[in-house]
Amino acid sequence: MTVSMKRIYAIFQKDLKDLSKNLFVSSIVILPVLMAFMYSRMGDILDLHYLIINLTLASVTAFIQCAVIAEEKEKHTLRGLMLSPATLPEILTGKSLVSLILTIVTLVVCMMITGYEPANLVLISFVILLSCLFYLALGTLLGLLTKTVVEASVVILPFMFLFGFGSMLKPLVDDYAILGFVEYLPNTQLVELAYKIESGLGFGSLWSHLAIILTWVIVATILTIFVYRKREMDD
Amino acid sequence: MENVIEVNSLAKIFGNQTALENVSFNVKKGETLGFLGPSGSGKTTTIKILTGQLRPTSGEAHVFGLSTSSLKNKDFRKRIGVLTDNSGLYNRLSIYDNLKLYCDLYNVPTAKIDEVLRLVNLTDDQKKVVSKLSKGMLQRVLLARTLLHDPELLFLDEPTSALDPANSKHIHEGLRRLNDQGTTIFLTTHDMSEAETLCDRVAFLHKGKVQLLDEPKKLRRQYSDSTITVELKDGREIVLPGGSEGADTIYNYLSTDQVVSVHSNEPTLGDIFVDITGRELV
Ligand SMILES: Nc1ncnc2c1ncn2[C@@H]1O[C@H](COP(=O)(O)OP(=O)(O)OP(=O)(O)O)[C@@H](O)[C@H]1O
Ligand SMILES: [Mg+2]
Repeated sequence: MTVSMKRIYAIFQKDLKDLSKNLFVSSIVILPVLMAFMYSRMGDILDLHYLIINLTLASVTAFIQCAVIAEEKEKHTLRGLMLSPATLPEILTGKSLVSLILTIVTLVVCMMITGYEPANLVLISFVILLSCLFYLALGTLLGLLTKTVVEASVVILPFMFLFGFGSMLKPLVDDYAILGFVEYLPNTQLVELAYKIESGLGFGSLWSHLAIILTWVIVATILTIFVYRKREMDD
Repeated sequence: MENVIEVNSLAKIFGNQTALENVSFNVKKGETLGFLGPSGSGKTTTIKILTGQLRPTSGEAHVFGLSTSSLKNKDFRKRIGVLTDNSGLYNRLSIYDNLKLYCDLYNVPTAKIDEVLRLVNLTDDQKKVVSKLSKGMLQRVLLARTLLHDPELLFLDEPTSALDPANSKHIHEGLRRLNDQGTTIFLTTHDMSEAETLCDRVAFLHKGKVQLLDEPKKLRRQYSDSTITVELKDGREIVLPGGSEGADTIYNYLSTDQVVSVHSNEPTLGDIFVDITGRELV
């Protein structure tokens, strides 16, 4: 199957124009930027940098993605895309690009505000980008499962909390066994990866974290494709 | 003649509700078929099955020889144009930007936009934002979008339901032109005069089945009681049998210069519709 860049770009272009006129959704980028300003005074602490980064992934990446997909459903425009020659990879890639680019811009701005300078920028960028894929899939999935933008923006709140702040629950894990899962959340894994990369550890000690994040990406992607296929049918 | 659509014993059951019970019909290449029936009779359901948006419960349908399970095919989608009541536009974008997206999706030059907008009488409005459009304008933009890629087969679900008579007429002319150029059209409508002017054949869908399928003219003749109504100058209206005995009477009235008008009492499609379904169209 060949993927048409032209179709992907057309959807991206449309989304960019549309989102620039949709303040309800696009103004969410203010949230991590404000947080970055607040925390920038507290000094160069890795945990704080990643609080902002995880918040960006949960709010900007997942929320915007969820809202734009839900809107396509609510306004019946997704049907038009599905009936066109555009394929699933083309539609979902096209629909993810705006969220992805907004995420990258927000992350760079936030990192400039908090003064985060990763020890290994290339590796950190790769890891964050990998995490991004999970949040894009999560947003798409929730957008496909809900009927309206309003419903979507309510349903995504617990997920934003869990993935945005969930890593902060980690100190409680020793006391509450049921919180054990927090260790395996992609946001917790991202923080642990960052610590290890910062202390100069090599790939050998990183791969297990990468594998866990990759598992989240794969599971979320499979679920998304499954739900999308179901949505292609009206019954 | 080659069939573009072939439907055999198609059934669709939603939960415990039967929308289509046993529907069979064919659409020939190049014809315009009107799919008529009361509200809720399953017209939209049929279109959704034929365009791969719904799975039939049983029976089979082929479009361009493809069975309903293989309608996701990219080449198939380029050959059809679909306008249903669940079609939507991007509200914050202009008419032009909405159509531009579809030009790119279908790999059609943007010069096509002008052409389809002319067909729906919206050439001067292409910069308007969709959220500011009237209902009839929205419907025309959707129709324009459906026509953008020159589909060989059009599914039009009540394409003129929100339009004023002038715009309806303009679009009818456009559709007839497309049909003359070889486009096959599958059309649903509640407007019997639209069915009459546009359709080569009409099907009446009722109680989950196609009750009747033929050319409008033939149906009217078939359902005609072949009487003639004569309106006289003294205000009387006389219904006469169609045969020679009626002819003598009309001759008398005509020769004594008493006649205002003479009408043959063929039923309209609307009359036939009511006859079949037993209720008025909504
Ligand atoms: N997705 C669905 N789930 C359940 N029932 C449905 C669904 N779609 C349609 N129906 C039912 O199937 C029947 C046929 O509906 P359909 O929309 O095909 O009618 P229609 O002929 O297009 O009516 P109208 O002229 O009002 O547009 C209706 O009783 C409707 O309630
Ligand atoms: Mg309908």
